[in-house]
Amino acid sequence: MNAVRPASIALHTGPLIDGDRSRLYFWLAICVATTALLTGASLLVGTSSIETSLGWLTSPDAQSSVILWQIRLPRTIGAWFAGALLGLGGAIAQGVFRNPLAEPYLLGTASGAALGVTLSLLAADASIAELAWAGKLGVTGAACVGAVAAIALTILLSRGVLQTANQLLAGIVVAFLLSAVTSLLLLTKPELWRAMQSFLLGSTGFLNWSSASLLGIVFCICALPAALFARGLDALSLGEDTAASLGLSLPKLRLCMLGILSLATAAAVGEVGVVGFVGLVAPHLVRESVAVNNRQLLLGAPLCGGALLQAADLVSRWVIHPAELPVGAVTAAVGGTYLVVLLWRRSRRE
Amino acid sequence: MSEALACRDLSLKYGSRSVLEQVSLDVAVGAWTAVVGPNGSGKSTLLRALAGLMTPSRGTVSLQGRPLAAWSRRERARRLAWLAQDSGTTNLTAAEVVGLGRFAHSGWLAANKSEDDAAMRRAMLATGSLPWAGRRVTTLSGGERQRVLLARVLAVEAPVLLLDEPTTHLDPPHQEEIARILRDQAHGCGVCVVSAIHDLSLALTADRLIVLGPDGVIGHGTVREALAGGWLSTAFSTDIDIIEHEGAYLWRPALEPRRRHHA
Repeated sequence: MNAVRPASIALHTGPLIDGDRSRLYFWLAICVATTALLTGASLLVGTSSIETSLGWLTSPDAQSSVILWQIRLPRTIGAWFAGALLGLGGAIAQGVFRNPLAEPYLLGTASGAALGVTLSLLAADASIAELAWAGKLGVTGAACVGAVAAIALTILLSRGVLQTANQLLAGIVVAFLLSAVTSLLLLTKPELWRAMQSFLLGSTGFLNWSSASLLGIVFCICALPAALFARGLDALSLGEDTAASLGLSLPKLRLCMLGILSLATAAAVGEVGVVGFVGLVAPHLVRESVAVNNRQLLLGAPLCGGALLQAADLVSRWVIHPAELPVGAVTAAVGGTYLVVLLWRRSRRE
Repeated sequence: MSEALACRDLSLKYGSRSVLEQVSLDVAVGAWTAVVGPNGSGKSTLLRALAGLMTPSRGTVSLQGRPLAAWSRRERARRLAWLAQDSGTTNLTAAEVVGLGRFAHSGWLAANKSEDDAAMRRAMLATGSLPWAGRRVTTLSGGERQRVLLARVLAVEAPVLLLDEPTTHLDPPHQEEIARILRDQAHGCGVCVVSAIHDLSLALTADRLIVLGPDGVIGHGTVREALAGGWLSTAFSTDIDIIEHEGAYLWRPALEPRRRHHA
C-alpha cells in the first residue's frame, strides 16, 4: 500500500542526477593522455641513452625489438595495471571503511599478500622471476589468502570497521608484524633472500607480458563488480543505519568489496611487490581535482593510480640512470609526504 | 485509524544493559507521532528497533500487519524510510543523496528511471531543496543539508517514515520548516510519521506523543491526553509547565528551582 501523493508536482525537465560531468570527462581525458605520454616515454628510458632508444624506434633490429617490445612495453603496461589495481583497492578501502586514510598498504593488506607470496615461493623453492603462468596464478592465490588474513586481523585489532584512527594504527601494526614474519621466513633461505629483497621494496623489474596479462585480467575481474556495487558505497557514506534502511545488505556488500580489494592487492603485490601509497594518493587526487560519487571514483582512481605507478617506474629508472631505484622507494617518498600533508590538513581543519 | 506500525512486548538491550522492557505500541497512519523523553530514555533505541535496525531481545515489530522479519529487505525498505540522527559525511551531490532514497526501487544502478526522477523532484520540491540539486552536500548549511536528507527520506515514497531527531542543531525557523513538512506528509499524504523530537514545544505541535521515562513508556496518545495525564512531568521527573496559547501548547521554562518527582 503506497501513500497517495499529489501527482501534479511531478516535473520532467531532464534527469536530476546526471548534472554537469564535463569536468570529470576532461579530467579522465587528462589521465588517459598522461598514460599515453608515459607509455611513450618509458620506451625511451632504460640502461641505454634516450638517443640510442630513439634510434631503435626509427630503425629497429632484432635485439632492440626485444628490448622495446618484450621488456620495456610489458613493463610499463604491467606497471599501469598494477597501479590501477592499487588505485581501485584504495578507493574501495576508503569507501568500505569510511576512512579517507585507508589503503592496501596502510591496512596491512599488501604485507599480508607479500607474506603469501613469500610462503608460496618458499614452498615451491623458486624465485619470482622464474615463474611461468601456473606459478604466477599460484603466487597470486597465496597472496590473496595472505591479503584476506591481513584484513581480518586489522579489523579484529581495530575492533570493528569504523574506528578511523584505531584502524590506521591496527593496519600499521599488522603490516609491521607480517613484514617481520616474512623477513624471518626469508632468513631460512639465504639464496631467496637477495631476489626477494627488491620484491619487498617494490619493483617493476619482474614484469613481462605474462604478468601484464595476468594483471589486466584481474583488473577486469575486479573493476566490473566494483563499479556495479559502487552505489552501495554511496549509501554507506550516509552511515550504516541509513544504508541498511535503504534495503542494502551490509555484510554482503562488505564481503564482496573486501574480496575485490584482496584480489586487487594480491595481484598487484604478486607482480610488483610491496608498493605503498599509490592506493592512498590516487583516490585523493581524483577527489581533490573533481567532485565524484563512488562509481566515478572507482573509474578515476584506477586511471590515476595506473599513471602514477607508470610515472614512478619511469622515475625509478631515470634518477640514478643507468642503475635503478626500487619503485616502492619512489612511491613511498612521494606517498609518505602526501600522507603527512593530508594529516596536517586534517589537523588544521579540526 | 488503522495501524501502520506496531510492536508487542518489545524488550531492547545494548549488550547486557536493558534500555526498554515490554513495550507495546500501535502507531497510526495519517498522523505525526513525536517520541519525547529525557536523555537516555531510549527514544533512538525504540526508533531503531521499529525500523528493524536492531534485533529486539524479546517481542516483535510488525509493519502493515506483517512481522518485520517476514518482509524481504527491499520490500521493507520501500515501505519504511529512516532518517538517522547523524548521517555521516558524504561527498555526494544533493540529487545523488536524494537518489539513494530510490535504492529499494531502482537497485544497484543509478536512479535514472522517469518514475525515480519524478519521485526525487517531488521530494525535493516538498522540502524546498531542489535549487541545490547539483551542489555537494558538504557545501550546504546545516538547515539546507537537513532538508536534503529529509528529501532522501521522502523520495522513498514509503507509507511509514521514522526520523531520529530531525531538528537537532537547527535554528527555530528551520525546525519549524521541518515540522511543517512532517505534518504535511502525515495529513496531506496519509503517511505514518514517527520522529524523536528533543524540543518540547516543537514536539507538542505533533498529533500524538509517545512519552518515554526512565522506566519505559509512560503513555501513548494525543497531545491533550498526554497533558491531562501529566505524562511529561512523570517522564522528566520534574514539573513541566505547559501553557496553551491560541490553540498551541508551549513549554514555559521556569528559572526558579523545580520540585523534583521521586519514583
